[in-house]
Amino acid sequence: MIRLEEVRVRLGSFVLEDVSLAVPAGGYGLIIGPTGSGKTTLLEAIAGHERLERGRIILRDENVTSASPEARRVGFVYQHYHLFPHLTVAENIGYGLRHAQAEARAERVAQLAESLGLLPLLPRSVRGLSGGEQQRTALARALAPRPTILLLDEPFAAVDPATRRALRRELRALHEREGVTTLQVTHDFEDALRLGDVVAVLADGRIAQSGTPDSVFRYPNSAFVAEFIGTGTVLRGTVERMQVPGPESEASGAERSDLAETRFAGRFRSNGLELEVVAEREGAAYAVIRPADLLISRAAMPAPAPRNRFDATVTRVERGSVVAQVHLDVGGTALVATVMTTTADELGLAPGIQLVAAIKATAIHLI
Amino acid sequence: MPLRTSPWSLTLWLLAALLVLFVAGPLLRLLLQASPASLGAALSDPELVASIWLTILTATSATALSVGLGVPLAYLLARVPFPGRRIVAGIVELPVVVPHPVAGIALLLFLGRQSTIGRGLGAIGLEFVNQVPGIVAGMLFVSAPIVVSAAREAFHSVDPKLERVARTLGDTGWNAFRHVTLPLAGRGIVAGAVLAWARSVSEFGSIVILTYNPKVASILIYDRFTLFGLPAAVPAAVVLLLIALAVFGLVQLLAPDRAEQR
Repeated sequence: MIRLEEVRVRLGSFVLEDVSLAVPAGGYGLIIGPTGSGKTTLLEAIAGHERLERGRIILRDENVTSASPEARRVGFVYQHYHLFPHLTVAENIGYGLRHAQAEARAERVAQLAESLGLLPLLPRSVRGLSGGEQQRTALARALAPRPTILLLDEPFAAVDPATRRALRRELRALHEREGVTTLQVTHDFEDALRLGDVVAVLADGRIAQSGTPDSVFRYPNSAFVAEFIGTGTVLRGTVERMQVPGPESEASGAERSDLAETRFAGRFRSNGLELEVVAEREGAAYAVIRPADLLISRAAMPAPAPRNRFDATVTRVERGSVVAQVHLDVGGTALVATVMTTTADELGLAPGIQLVAAIKATAIHLI
Repeated sequence: MPLRTSPWSLTLWLLAALLVLFVAGPLLRLLLQASPASLGAALSDPELVASIWLTILTATSATALSVGLGVPLAYLLARVPFPGRRIVAGIVELPVVVPHPVAGIALLLFLGRQSTIGRGLGAIGLEFVNQVPGIVAGMLFVSAPIVVSAAREAFHSVDPKLERVARTLGDTGWNAFRHVTLPLAGRGIVAGAVLAWARSVSEFGSIVILTYNPKVASILIYDRFTLFGLPAAVPAAVVLLLIALAVFGLVQLLAPDRAEQR
């Protein structure tokens, strides 16, 4: 278990302030944030390399706030791996086992090397290893002493996309096999969605939001979080209560039963765009429109169509192997919709095509 | 970069050749001046042999002290931010700009019998004036900056995060230094130590003021030149030059060829 309580760390003029976070035993936590937000500093503070000005660090139910790095028994993998250049791959992996018996050490090194595909590389110098090989060696080295806590600093940042996907799978499998409580720093929310049990978004030295990756992704609590993790298009506008929520109002149907008493049917205005929304307060707000929630059609929407319907013009189509991002212009407002690439092809989507776009009031997340 | 025949490249080559000739010429001339017979006679001269052994002994002691005291200082300067770090770094570099006789006078005032420190050290049997420790002190003063500078550069070249990784793998600070930083910086430190040793062997200005007798090789050569003229000084000078060349060769073996590192 990793628990941070109101941690404060000063590094020159940068301050990591009031950071509280908990990753349960055996869990996988992710810290996501832009460059310079303090992600690496936070990991180094947990590892004991940076002194705390305030707060506590609890590892395995033990307060290690004042403990030396070697006493904390954590594995640490840096972004650039930092393999010991004067040692071989085997010596690097076995570095933390130098006090173990030679036989046990060799066995553990071979076991990790095998599980990470490093066996043929063991006698080689670490100079000249590829990015993926260095990454695997660094991971094996960190895991060799069987730490119960593993800290990973952007472990996929310096490898190509194919290696990244493979490493992500291996890391998750290793995490489950070794049962190590893991905290990983990343700037890629994809890592969080695929790996994490808990995610914390760090901005300017503070935790902007934390929770399960799905909840943070679906319900960002600020425009910064929504934009940084790429939840969707963030529109700035104002919310006002709809005077007479008519019986045919979308939010008055089946969805109405879901509304808490504090929620009401409202209208969100942003530039020329008007949206029916389910709101909790009136006034200035941000509306987040997730690409997957924005429906598009070349003909009129079949009933029951969402009440939020607009004429849209396709400005750009980015076709991926599975999904396509369709960029739309809706009366001067830029929105993005996601459709299957095959659907985009069937619809003949291309810049200049006129469409009907629609979104349910309940799918619009207001901040 | 391939060199083309142009007025610019010709000028470059000419100026470079002039300096190389100016440095190599006198040394080559000195080597050619000594006959094998005169070298053999020099090596069987008990005063010269004793002087060379004294030089080697004192230079080695000064280098050991430079390394023992200079490496920790270099590590602090390279790795640990502390108030006044730049001032401390500047102080250690000072002997490079102080004329060596001036250094000798300063050391005489600091370690001589007239100073409190000199009297204190004298009370425990450590005398500097006209004593072997005086030679070591002079050599240490001029050679320590070389060790500190080389070691600091060597430590700078080792990523501090390597030590952090070693700490998370169970090493104490000392063990991380011993097993990771020192092996990686060791070559640079040794190269600095060898250069410091060579600098100690060649020291004259400060030693002549602190300890004229017993004579180290540089003082003996000067002594013979002033008393008996050039023919008496040349064989001893050649022996000292050969020692310096051997050390230079060692440094070349230890230090990476920077001209080739692109």
